[in-house]
Amino acid sequence: MAKKPNNEDVSLDMTPMIDVVFQLIIFFVVTLKMSDDKDTTIKLEDGKAGIPLTQEELPPSQLTIDIAKNGRVSLSNITLSDQMLAQKIRERKDRYGAEFPCMIRADWRTKHRDVKRVMDICTANGVWKLSFVAIKEAKGSMAARKK
Amino acid sequence: MARKKQEDPKAEMTPMIDVVFQLMIFFIVTIKQEDIFSKLNANRPAPNSSLSDSVENDTQINIQIGPRGFVFNGRGVSLPELRRNISKLAKTSTKSMVLVRCTLDSPHMYLVQALDACAENDMHNISIFSM
Repeated sequence: MAKKPNNEDVSLDMTPMIDVVFQLIIFFVVTLKMSDDKDTTIKLEDGKAGIPLTQEELPPSQLTIDIAKNGRVSLSNITLSDQMLAQKIRERKDRYGAEFPCMIRADWRTKHRDVKRVMDICTANGVWKLSFVAIKEAKGSMAARKK
Repeated sequence: MARKKQEDPKAEMTPMIDVVFQLMIFFIVTIKQEDIFSKLNANRPAPNSSLSDSVENDTQINIQIGPRGFVFNGRGVSLPELRRNISKLAKTSTKSMVLVRCTLDSPHMYLVQALDACAENDMHNISIFSM
C-alpha cells in the first residue's frame, strides 16, 4: 500500500476558490435587478391558465398600466392623471398602431369602477384589446400575491 | 525619500478575499425570486356601444360579476361552480362569445377569476362590459 505523502505544502492553493467565488459574483451581478419600475404595493390575483409573461418576451411597445387598491393609476411608478394616461396611450398608438400589448395590472381589491375608468380611456383612444396581469406561479417570500 | 524595496513579491490575498466575500453576501441577500406572471386577454367594447348592439344569440355566455361574486344564468354561483359551468359549455364550442358584465362595486379579483376560468377552457372571445 502506498503511503500518504507527508510533505504536502502547508499553505492551501487559493486559486480555485477565488475562481469559483468570482464566477458566483458574476452570476449574481448579472441576475440582479436593482430597482423595480412598478408599483410594488399591488397584490395580484391568481391566473394560472393565462399566457405566461416573461420579461424577455415583452416587446418595447407594451404598456403596463398599474392600478392600486385605492384607484391610483401609474405607469412605471409615476402617478398619472386621466388626461396624461390618455396622452401616453395616444403616443403608443401613433408609434406602434392600436395592436400594441396594453396590460392592466390592478390590485385584487381594486373596485371595478377604477378599472372601468382606465378601460374607457383605452377604448376612447382606439385600444380594444386589453390584457389583465395575474400570477401564474408565485415564487419566494416577496410574492406579489394576495394574502 | 525612502522607498521600500524588500516587499513580498506574492500579493496579499486576504483583503481581496474579504471584499469578495462581502460582495457575495450582499448579492445573495439582495437577490429575490421573481414571480411568473400571466396575462388574460379580453376585448373591451367602446363605452357608448350598448349590450343590445352586440348580436344576441344562444351561443353567448353571460357572466355577471357583483360585489359578492358571480351570477351565472341568473343564479349566484361560486368560483368552482362557475368553472364547472364554463367547462361544460366549452365542450360544445369554445368559439362562443363570453360577455362578462361587472358592477362598479365589484372587486377586480372576480373579473380576473372569471377570465382565468375562461382561459382555462380555451375561450378567448371575451368582452367586458361595465354596469
